[in-house]
Amino acid sequence: MIPILGLAVGVVLGLLLDPSVPLWLQPYLPIAVVAALDAVFGGVRARFDGIFDAKVFVISFVSNVVVAALIVFLGDQLGVGAQLSTAVVVVLGIRIFGNAAAIRRHLFRA
Amino acid sequence: MSARPPGQQRSLGASLLDQVLAETLDPAYAQAAEAKAARAAARAGTPAPPRPWFRRHRGQLLVALTLALAGLLGSVTYREAAAGAQGREQAREALREDIGQESDTNDELVAQLEALTAEVTRTREDALARSAVGQLALEQLADAEQGAAVLPVSGPGLRVTLGNAPPAADSDPVGGSAEVAEPGIVQDGDLQLAVNALWAAGAEAISIDGQRVGATTAIRQAGQAILVDFRPVSSPYEVLAVGEPDDLARSFLASSAAGTLAQFTIDYGVVFDFAREDDLDLPAGTAAELRSAVPLAEPADTTPDPPTDGG
Repeated sequence: MIPILGLAVGVVLGLLLDPSVPLWLQPYLPIAVVAALDAVFGGVRARFDGIFDAKVFVISFVSNVVVAALIVFLGDQLGVGAQLSTAVVVVLGIRIFGNAAAIRRHLFRA
Repeated sequence: MSARPPGQQRSLGASLLDQVLAETLDPAYAQAAEAKAARAAARAGTPAPPRPWFRRHRGQLLVALTLALAGLLGSVTYREAAAGAQGREQAREALREDIGQESDTNDELVAQLEALTAEVTRTREDALARSAVGQLALEQLADAEQGAAVLPVSGPGLRVTLGNAPPAADSDPVGGSAEVAEPGIVQDGDLQLAVNALWAAGAEAISIDGQRVGATTAIRQAGQAILVDFRPVSSPYEVLAVGEPDDLARSFLASSAAGTLAQFTIDYGVVFDFAREDDLDLPAGTAAELRSAVPLAEPADTTPDPPTDGG
């Protein structure tokens, strides 16, 4: 219950405070969100599998976001930013989809 | 699609894609669960030591904090994207408004110009009609105006259509732009070729997409657009030529320009069509700027024609 409350608080804070993001960070926000989604879906699935671990979740979340943004940043420096973002989105998208399917199987037994 | 148990080595032949597809859950969860189970087994029998509330809920609080971070990240990104889209929409709206306003102003000015030109013509005709020499000048002026394409013309003639090559059947209209391949685009030179060939074939008057082409009218390219008399025209370009349709068609088709354009059709898929028309209406062109003028000759002096500049 507390985690879901945390999520709601975060969303409300973001919408209400409207913090300004430095310009250099803005291109990495969408990819960071996709990475965060992957970590969150992974966590939910692990919970359904009964193997959820807070430490693993927190570390995987932070590292996912940082690494995804870093890969895209590196790609931008090398001139292949768009392609690398696509690669990151494809890989994370497949994982999100797979985890969502596993969650669905747990929820609906189908 | 469950996580593979830790310790079991994936075969070396497994492809990267296989791994991506099969391993959707972080293996660290399984490892942590196993470690926890091992700890619990080692502690089996002894009761769990009492822990303070904070210690017991530390994991949950951490997860809540992380999720709050995730929510913040998501909402901030959403705000950024929405703000960007809104800004773009606003800029586009402002530009659209500007275009509309300037077009209105332009139309107004054109109408004003037409009214004033008509008034000038009327006044000039009134003034010239009063004297014999003036009447003579008026006739010459009418001839000159005919030649300078400042009078509307109608009559039978030829309709020549030039157009960009249609997009290939296998081109993807979704996502990509509907741009035609570069070689299939009609250039200003192609239009000039057609117009010059029509002049040579005996056309009396020519217009392109409703823009009258006179002796000094420019057909030129500015970026992607073709300008006729400095007004943009777009594909398909409809070249109307007034003249004796049969003669015009025969001479035009015999010209090398028609051959070149036909070759373009074969090579690049450029649209090139022509048809005889019984009734064509060509609008008046813009009058050329008056650069020189001479006073009318004295009534007694009738032999030499006073040189008049058309328009």
